[in-house]
Formats: sequence, C-alpha cells, structure tokens
Amino acid sequence: MVYTVALIGNPNVGKSVIFNNLVPGARQHVGNWPGKTVEKKEGKCVYKGTELKIVDLPGTYSLTVRAVDELIARNYIVEEKPDVVVHIVDASNIERNLYLTFLLLELEANLVIALNMFDVAKEKGYKIDVNKLSEQLGVPIVPTVATAKEGMKELKDEIVNAAQKKGVVMMKPKITYGKKIEGLIQFIVKIIKKDETMAQKYPARWLAIKLLEKDEDILEKIKDSIYRRELMEVIS
Amino acid sequence: MKAREVLGEDPEIVLADKRYDSISTILSTSLVRGARKWTLTDMLDKVFIHKALGIPVFLALFWAMFRFAFDASAPFMEIIGLFFGLLAEASAGIPNEILASFIGDGIFGGLGFILTFIPPIFFLFLGIAILEDSGYLARAAFIMDRIMFKLGLHGRSFIPMLLGFGCNIPAMMATRSIEGEKDRLITLLVNPFISCGARLPVYILIAGAFFGSMATTAIWSMYFLGIMIAILVALLLRKTILRGEPAPFIMELPMYKAPTFHGSVIHMWERGVHFLKKAGTYLLAGAIILWFLSSFPWGVGVEFSYTGQIGHALAPIFRPLGFDWRIVASLVFALLAKEIAVEALGIIYAVEGETAIAGALVADYSPVVGYTLMAFTLLYIPCVATIGTMKKETGSWKWTIFQLALTLVLAYVVGLVITGIGAILGYA
Repeated sequence: MVYTVALIGNPNVGKSVIFNNLVPGARQHVGNWPGKTVEKKEGKCVYKGTELKIVDLPGTYSLTVRAVDELIARNYIVEEKPDVVVHIVDASNIERNLYLTFLLLELEANLVIALNMFDVAKEKGYKIDVNKLSEQLGVPIVPTVATAKEGMKELKDEIVNAAQKKGVVMMKPKITYGKKIEGLIQFIVKIIKKDETMAQKYPARWLAIKLLEKDEDILEKIKDSIYRRELMEVIS
Repeated sequence: MKAREVLGEDPEIVLADKRYDSISTILSTSLVRGARKWTLTDMLDKVFIHKALGIPVFLALFWAMFRFAFDASAPFMEIIGLFFGLLAEASAGIPNEILASFIGDGIFGGLGFILTFIPPIFFLFLGIAILEDSGYLARAAFIMDRIMFKLGLHGRSFIPMLLGFGCNIPAMMATRSIEGEKDRLITLLVNPFISCGARLPVYILIAGAFFGSMATTAIWSMYFLGIMIAILVALLLRKTILRGEPAPFIMELPMYKAPTFHGSVIHMWERGVHFLKKAGTYLLAGAIILWFLSSFPWGVGVEFSYTGQIGHALAPIFRPLGFDWRIVASLVFALLAKEIAVEALGIIYAVEGETAIAGALVADYSPVVGYTLMAFTLLYIPCVATIGTMKKETGSWKWTIFQLALTLVLAYVVGLVITGIGAILGYA
C-alpha cells in the first residue's frame, strides 16, 4: 500500500526544504501540473516499511479560486483526496499561517502540522504549547527545524500514523464562526445533504462555507444539482 | 433563511474575520509571545516602510543609485569614447571615401558612440541588484502598493513595474501573474511608462550635455515622471474604460540581508547582457541602415540625405516642442529601440563632421528642448519589441493600437507642458 502525502504551506516557510529532507534527490520528479505552467514536484520514500508518495503543492496563503496555484492546491486535496496532508507552518508567523490550517480543516483533510522554523520562533521569544495547540486544533503537531533536519523522524512517524488511522475521526476542532453564522451553515448543509452524490463528493460543511463566499468554482459545481435553486435562494 | 441578513454584503471578508477571531482565541491559550526582541529587520523597517518617511527614503535611495551609476561609469565612458575616437581617426586614412565614412561615421561614430553608454546601464543594474538582494526593493514595492491600492490599482502591478526598470518586455510578461483581466490590462498599458535601461543612454547624453551638476537629478526626475504618469494613467483607465475594484494583495517582506558581491554581479549581468546582445544585432543593423540613409544620395550632406528628408518631412509636427529635423529623424529610428536615438544623433553629427556630440547639442538646442526630448523619449511609443509583446500578451490589435496612440499623445502633451513651463521660466 502506497500512501499519498501532500505538502502544503505559505510561501517561504521551508516547504521545499522539508520535501528535500523527505525525498532523496534522486527519487524526486519535477514536472508540471496538468495544463498549467505551475511546477509540480513529487517523489517516493520508504519509512519503516511504509511507502509514501510525497506531492509538493504550490505555496499558497489561502485556497480561493482567484489564483491558479491556490486552485491547483485546493483541487488536488478535494479531487485526489491524498491520505495525509502535511501543512508546514512557519512557527514565527503562526497567527497568519494558521489561517490556511483552518481552510484545510474545513476541507476535512487528514492533517499533520509541521511547526517549522521552531528555532526562529524561540529566538523571537515565542513560547508555543504544542500539546495544547494540537488538542485545540485536533491535529497532530510536530515542531521542526527543516534546515537542521530536526524533527524529521517525528514528522515521518506522525505521517505514517495519520495515514494508517485514516478514517478515524480525531477530536472535532474548535473552529466556530459564531452562533448566527453556524446556524446559517447548518441550514445550507441540510440542503446539500439532500443531494447524495454531491454530499459524497465534497465535505458538506466546506461546500456550505464556499457557497456563502460565492466561490465561482463551487457555484459551477452545484450547477447540475436539483437543489441548486433552493441553495441559490439562501445565498443570493 | 437569507445569507445576506447574517453576512451582509461582503461574506468573504466577514468569514475571514471570523477565522482570524478563532485563531486569536486558540492562540491566546497556547502561545506566549514573550518579550519581543528587536531584530535588525524590525529596526530598518521602522524607517523604510514608515508611512511618512517611506516615500522620501525611496526617492532618496533611487537618486543615490543614479548618482552612483552616473559617477562610477564616467571613467569607463571616457575610456570607451577615447578608444572609438582613435579608431574613427584611424579610419579616416581609408582611401575609399565611402568606406571611410561607413567605418568612421557609421560604425565608430554611431555604434561606438552608443557603446559608451553601456557602462552606466550596467552600473544602474548593479545598483538595482544591490537594492533587490538586500531586501529593499520588496519594501519599495510595499510602499508603492500602499499608494496604488488607495488609487484603486492592483498590488501585483508593482512587481512588473519594478522589472520594467530593466526592460519592459519581461515586465509585461510578468503581468501574467495578475489575476483579474482588467487589472492585468491596465498594468500592460502603463508598463512602457516605466523607464527601461534603453532610455538611459538618451538621458545621460542629454543631461550630461545640458545640466552639468544637476544631471543626476534630471535623470532621476525622468524615472519619477515615468512612475507618476504610469500611476495617473492607470487611475484614469480605472475610472473610465476599465472600471472595477482591485483585489487585495498579500506580500511577504523578506528579511534584510547584506547583498553578496557575487550575487549582485550575477543579477547585473543577467539584465545587462541583453544590451550587449542588442549592440551586436539591433544596434549594429541600426548603425548600417542609419549611416546609409544619412549618407545617400552621396555628397548632398546629411540635411538633404534620406534621413534629413524624413526628419524635414515630420519636423513641422514637432516644431512646437522645439525639435528640429535631426531630433525628429532620431526619434523615428528609435522606434526600433530607444537607444538608437543616441546612435542616430551620433551618426548624423558624425557625417556632418562633428565629433563632440554633447557640445554640438548644446550649440544647437536650449536646455528646455533637451529636457523635453528626455521626457518625449521616456513616454512616446515603446520600441517595436514592446509593441509585439503587447500584441502577444493581449491578443488584441485594438489594445495594442490604443497603447500606441496613448503613448504618442501623452508624450506630445507632456512635451508641450514642459516647453510651456520652460517659456514661463524664461528659457525660450
């Protein structure tokens, strides 16, 4: 069994260093995303008898339809459903980086966070309670210093754990948009769930949130649903 | 249930806000920031991206960069000038009169003359490379973005603009990263106003001849004028034919670091080598054609040569700007590449038997005409390669022709304004 592992993160967080640490140079393959001029890097590695296929997604700040690289990353996670998504977070800029974590959680990706540049964060005087953060997000977190290859073994352990546990729901993350908006989201989720093919294909809550954001790509996706009119009535 | 009642008009922003609220709540229990240590980057950014100080510092740094390019290149220009001067003298010994003129006036007087301007181009690119490698250029983009966003322009526009200081063509290709079609079109349309390296020889020739110790400031003012015109035109387009709101733009500011000599020189070379290649192709071809058109019919003198005839035919249109047939002919040839304006002036004067071009210019024109010529060179129709790029990037002849008309009209109007101000100040 080969597990697919996608790496994602903001630009300049050390994503390619982690990729290089995980995949030996000779086993890396560089190509293009189908039909796009954006570079695609992937490669295989074996860890403790488990074979992992690592895919490096384009560096992004968010997952909107507006930019090609963001859409590539998003579509990959939604359509290809990798076994594990490793979000590389710049610990010294954790607040801004966690924004993408939230979006990934909404996508119901099987997440592992590499809290990279942990040394820089320490130098900056940050004290991060990794266990507590992990508990709150419901995501395993591994502190790493990719440039010094620190935390790589632990990261691989967590990747393999996450891959094998796949399907087991971790603790629900405590992200909430507040009572009113949550009510609205639930209302839309109920409509979406009536359309079984759609609900099977996409995480319903994510679809609801994207519809509220009037995401063009998602509006396109619900075009053929028989509940389209009902949905449009709520969001327009 | 209606989404609008809960989320208002801009749901995307409301939801993003909520996400950040959640992040703060979570981090409030798992992150202790501790005593914030001041890094060198923080200290420098206090000044470099300061709301009020940022722009004066930007302008001052750019001024210093031109001063550096101008002063550091002066001895090299002198050496190259002397070298081609000697070659031109030696070529006078060639027995065949036409061949002697071709070698002396066309190749050494024209191509050789434009080659003397290669050092300032390289030094300017070295300056830009140092600013870029140190991390400052990203700040320059940041402070400009702040202004541009207020004016309704897309933040990503400024990166192609920065590239434009080297050459407008890669800059126009870089607009592909801009998401909105209108945002991209605006950026493409105004990019040629950003003063590329090819305009520098014209500025240096004119400013060096007319403005003495103020030469650096005169050159710097051209870059400033270019940026201002680009912003104003973009704003105008945004308010008229390309209406819309810009998308917000997130930009990562890298940490400052000392540029390495090796790295900066490589960056300088990557941009500058383009001009050396041009010298061997476009400018050489330009020199041959120009010499031919300026020397034939043989024996009638430049003024009645083909070049002179072209210049004389169009000169009436440009009389209000103070341009005579020599300048007009040079500007026509410079459509091929802007440096050819300098090459053309070199050949026209060389065929006339004049070797000290700067002195001849001062004798023939007033400083106001000189300054007008600098501004006109900056603004009027970009070179053929840029026109081709515009067509390729927009896929539309309509927008390409619109750009040609826009640049030409704007150059003429700005030229008139400068002439007018010059007249008011009593430099008629």
